Amino acid sequence: MKSEKVLIIGGVAAGTKTAAKLKRENPTLDVTIITRDEYISYAGCGLPYYVGGVIEEKKELVVKTPEDFKLITGVDVLTKHEAIDIDRKNKIVKVKVLTTGEIKDFQYNKLVFATGASPFIPPIKGSHLKGVFPLRKVEDAIAIRELVDSDKVKNAVVIGGGFIGLETAENLFEKDINVTLIELAPHILPGFDEEIALYAQNYMKEKGINILTSEKAIAIKGEDKIEKVITDKREVDADLVVMSVGVRPNVELAKNMGVEIGETGAIKVNGNMETNIPDVYAVGDCAESINLITGKPAWYPMGSTANKMGRVAGININQNGEKDSLKGVLGTTVVKLFGLNAAKTGLSEMAAKKEGYNVISVLVPGNDKAHYYPGYRMIITKLIADKDSHRVLGAQVIGEGVVDKPIDIIATAITLGAKVEDLEKLDLAYAPPFSMAMSTTIVAANVLVNKLKNKIETISPVELKDRIDQVVVLDVRDEASNMISSIPGAVNIYSEELDMRVHELDKDKETVLVCKVGKNAYLSYIKLKEMGFKNLKVLEGGMTVYPYETV
Amino acid sequence: MAEINLNCKGLQCPGPIMQVFKASKEANSGDILNVKVTDRGFAKDIAAWCKKTGNKLLELNETETEINAKIQIK
Repeated sequence: MKSEKVLIIGGVAAGTKTAAKLKRENPTLDVTIITRDEYISYAGCGLPYYVGGVIEEKKELVVKTPEDFKLITGVDVLTKHEAIDIDRKNKIVKVKVLTTGEIKDFQYNKLVFATGASPFIPPIKGSHLKGVFPLRKVEDAIAIRELVDSDKVKNAVVIGGGFIGLETAENLFEKDINVTLIELAPHILPGFDEEIALYAQNYMKEKGINILTSEKAIAIKGEDKIEKVITDKREVDADLVVMSVGVRPNVELAKNMGVEIGETGAIKVNGNMETNIPDVYAVGDCAESINLITGKPAWYPMGSTANKMGRVAGININQNGEKDSLKGVLGTTVVKLFGLNAAKTGLSEMAAKKEGYNVISVLVPGNDKAHYYPGYRMIITKLIADKDSHRVLGAQVIGEGVVDKPIDIIATAITLGAKVEDLEKLDLAYAPPFSMAMSTTIVAANVLVNKLKNKIETISPVELKDRIDQVVVLDVRDEASNMISSIPGAVNIYSEELDMRVHELDKDKETVLVCKVGKNAYLSYIKLKEMGFKNLKVLEGGMTVYPYETV
Repeated sequence: MAEINLNCKGLQCPGPIMQVFKASKEANSGDILNVKVTDRGFAKDIAAWCKKTGNKLLELNETETEINAKIQIK
């Protein structure tokens, strides 16, 4: 029997993963990767760190060269080969060799789209000027680093406050460049809820990044080299502009041959990575996923998802009867910004509300290790659940401490359908250098259960900011803490003096109790309830999380 | 002029700033307070507190595990 030909278009994460898995499953298959790029299998997520010099050499970014890849896997790799058209009936891909201009035909039995995603460049004036870059490919990173290393860059502007934009801002800043980040949305970190995103935003501002939100870049000015970025509010000096406003799936080729595109704009596939056309598969950033919680199509262009898709496609294409499938993903992500770590899984509070869930959530600060163990750091957990079913819908964890462990615990729990009560009872590893005796995840679940049982009423920082004129804010911290920073208009009575000074308060007025993290406010809440206060709320996360103006 | 050592390691809430506040009330003008802290928020807090109260922050050192502050009482 003549060996089957499998042709894979694209060779970064998902393409190479599919190919490698296929050959491992069935070494007799004829597997070829064609890619228009010069590099394959590169660490796209590592590019900002190459710009900053954390990753010293280009070769460290490239996981495998085409030659190495062929040697190890037996897969043929043709770089600088661009697929330009597909003859669906005869199963032929027309390929242009970019180095020579020659057109070649490639026959296939099975075809895999791993065409990835491309940076979206907003159609603003001057975006084609020298000194304006996306940051998606190795070539982009090399060009940016060359410019930075030439010492000609004093001021840089990053447009877009997503992960890559923020990481690039940090890396440029570490090169002693003045960095301004412009974000169209009201806060950075799209997909995160406001208070968590603002926490990160305040942190980065304190480090020295100039962040402009709710602001639109409308033009880039300059002749030979760029000089300024014009926004709808001001002009910002710039010798370098990095455009990082998001990516779009590369689906044109697939669309032209009749492959169905999903509602997210990416290629529609089933759990087996099959498209609507027999023998045609799609994996990685060009393909759609299912959100495990909502069961609806979702698009998560992530290296972690791309690799899983590649493995599944590899198993299914082999056709020895074995089937594998990817039911869906949660969109779990993590990012490091200077010393701050931020992670997210499942639905945000905002997304969950939009989906129609009866949302309940809490914000709970805690420590990643025992508080008496040297080197512990604070992390804030936001836990989101459905009030009716108690099912955990999502979480966000942010702080200088370890955040990937708790987010992975919660991602696992959500995948297995956990309720908040299940999280409370998890038997997690504990010793002082690793965790608190009650880990942050368990404590957050405890607070949420208290809230579900109506043992405590809370108010989020976002809601307090909106209603600050309608409530009495009672700060129960000590005088010294209150003096350093407090919410404008807050009354300060130290929790230990509440008994003596309770007459200063009106029991019928809606009162929001504030302390450092929420615990003393909760204890005061219980005390004041006993004393006959009718409308009390605890500020979630206390002053630690409150991201708005303080005095 | 006395030098007072204050070990606030492991203290979080009410934080070390309250201990510093108490000690500053008992101290005499010109006294030096040496404070050892593990709560990371302290670095920002002590700088802000000194600014508001007029006490002088002579030194502030942060290591991976500890923050040390030297304060001269007003």
